[in-house]
Amino acid sequence: MSLSTHTTQSGFLLPSIHSAPPFFTQQPNLATQSILTEQWTRLILAYARYRRLFILRIEDAETTGNEWDEVLRNERINRRILPSHLSHILASMVATNVAAYEPAKQTRTVLLYWRLPEEWAEVLHNWATSTAQLNTILTFYDITDPPIESELSGIPLIGVADGEGVRIFAGGR
Amino acid sequence: MALRRNTRSVDGTIPVQALLYNDEEIYASQEGVGIYDGLQKSPNHQSGTVHISTHRLFYIDAYNAYKHSFSMDLSYITQTEYYAGLFKSSPKVTLHLSGSSIASGQGTNDDVETGFESWECEVCAYRNPPGLSPAAARVCGLCGVPRSSVPVSSASPIPHHLSSSLPSSAVSSATSSVPSLSNQPLDDAPSTIACPACTFLNHLSLRSCEMCSTELPRAPRRALKSAPSTRPPSPDPEDEDLTAIRMIKISFRRGGDKAFYAVLKRCLKSKAWEANGIGGIPHVVSSSPDSTPVPDRNTIGRSGITGILRDVETSAQGRETGMLDALHDLEALMVKAKDMVRLAAELNEKLTAASTAASAQSSLSPLSPQSSLTALNSAAEPEEATFIRSSLSQLGLQMANTPVTLDMMKDEKRWIEELARELAQVLQGSSDKDSGMMRTRGMIALDEVWGGWNRARGVALIPPSTFLLVLPHLPQFTSPPIQARTFASGLSVLHTPPYTSAAFAARLSGLLALTGPKTTAEVAREEGITLGLAEEMIGAVEAEGDVCRDEGEGRGGTPGAGAGAELRWWANLFVGYVWDGQV
Repeated sequence: MSLSTHTTQSGFLLPSIHSAPPFFTQQPNLATQSILTEQWTRLILAYARYRRLFILRIEDAETTGNEWDEVLRNERINRRILPSHLSHILASMVATNVAAYEPAKQTRTVLLYWRLPEEWAEVLHNWATSTAQLNTILTFYDITDPPIESELSGIPLIGVADGEGVRIFAGGR
Repeated sequence: MALRRNTRSVDGTIPVQALLYNDEEIYASQEGVGIYDGLQKSPNHQSGTVHISTHRLFYIDAYNAYKHSFSMDLSYITQTEYYAGLFKSSPKVTLHLSGSSIASGQGTNDDVETGFESWECEVCAYRNPPGLSPAAARVCGLCGVPRSSVPVSSASPIPHHLSSSLPSSAVSSATSSVPSLSNQPLDDAPSTIACPACTFLNHLSLRSCEMCSTELPRAPRRALKSAPSTRPPSPDPEDEDLTAIRMIKISFRRGGDKAFYAVLKRCLKSKAWEANGIGGIPHVVSSSPDSTPVPDRNTIGRSGITGILRDVETSAQGRETGMLDALHDLEALMVKAKDMVRLAAELNEKLTAASTAASAQSSLSPLSPQSSLTALNSAAEPEEATFIRSSLSQLGLQMANTPVTLDMMKDEKRWIEELARELAQVLQGSSDKDSGMMRTRGMIALDEVWGGWNRARGVALIPPSTFLLVLPHLPQFTSPPIQARTFASGLSVLHTPPYTSAAFAARLSGLLALTGPKTTAEVAREEGITLGLAEEMIGAVEAEGDVCRDEGEGRGGTPGAGAGAELRWWANLFVGYVWDGQV
């Protein structure tokens, strides 16, 4: 039985492991599970970057018809990730600092850092420079919804409420 | 009424000390008391002195000491109550009386009087002096043997004559026995009772006919009724009321109640009247008319918490003695046990020697025409041997060829090793036979081994603790070596080399790689082990990370549909996986 990669309707190339049924089961063996979590983290971040998704909710695993369907379930082998498993993966992602609970003090929704906050700051600075908007006062709306589509389009600014990078940079000018 | 039934009239003109039994003692006295009979004042006993002794309670009337004084046995008292008094009501002590004397009200007098004559013990011929309390008088003062029969019953009038020589209290109580209680002049009552069978005119106080022993119509009072003209002028309203409250009250008009009550309690507690009689509970011949009050008094003495406690004590003592006896027996048996075992071993050796000789003989002439005969003989001989052996084993004495007992092996280590050898034989069978629990099975649970081994032993069973001690020695005596293994769940098994953890993991991985994912049941079938064992073993392999699980199909689509989904095992495809998806 050979596992093969698969390209989804949106053009995302799913890894071969995604078609292995054990991939969707939480493994009792901790060593095995850590590999599994690592692969899931990579898959989620890759997909988020590809689709420009910032938020992942536990509900996405429970319901169908949302943008995460292609990753969180595999209809070809009739498997889906269980909410408890996903919750475990999200916890691990938060612990490794590639995601943050948003809003804080709950564990059902995360903001995905498919770029680190520092990287986002760089992106914002480059964007402001390239569009000649340095030292210009910009509203959040200007940044998240510029007339010309940028890398920052659609970024949820509430996510950086802890003050890292973007907000101070944007508001300080 | 209670007053009449339970008390005995005494001559109050005599000093109280003279009224006492020899073994009786006065404890307290109080003057200025009145008596209530039941709930009502007793008109004749309103001013007098009460004395309390170890056995009795005396009331000496102040006005008419001769007629209205009485005594009452403390044994009648079942319960006491104290009332402190209120305003003009004086303090009172209520004595609840047992109803035991209802029938014996008449006979009591006779009974007591018999105690007041001297009598000779049948056993030791000791002349018992008169004047003891009734209970004490029933047993011989020297040897303690109860007075077996009361001769008085056959010659009832005699005590009256004898009693004239006795203390005057007895005389007075005899002469004024019943009538004085009912305030009835003695002369008015018929002095004899005609026997219904032989018409002999018996004395009034007899209860059975002197001539023919027929029971007499016991009621001079009934006789009185038949002659209404002789009825007392002041009839007692409660005369026939048997259900009336059985109690009397002592009213302390001039104080002293508290001290008196305390003494009364103490006297009741000490039960002096019983203590004397306890050595020999009187066994008066039942035909004797005097016997009736006796059992009553005994039941009174034994009832209550003290009686129960005494019973418990006695039974506990008996049990302890029995237990000690039993243990002695056991010790004796243990001393003998070694000898018995030795005897059994010797016997068994002889049997074995005989059977080997027989088999040697048969093997010498395998082709001779007699071979069938010798074979028969050799077959018959083991039968006898088996019989002897089985009877030995039924006695709990096993022989040397199978079980090894602690007695045979002084050195415990050697004992364990011998056991291990024996277990190895149970598991793998002896070389010639094809039996043995692990002949065809590679893995077997420990409980099954233990059960099977003990069944094979039959007697001198091996406790689990010893069994566990034996297990580490097992590989030395088995080939291929059988080893013990404990799974994460605590399940312990014995297994042959193909079932070691590493071997099984390798085999399982190979199987999965070759034929794809498998359920636990499929693995169990493949390996020829039970489902539970397979589960444990795969669990162990999973813990080492060689396989991974896939918990269910159908869960992806409709929730709940995956309820029947089965766990499938996959080779661990995460190890060494290289990302081949979108970068």
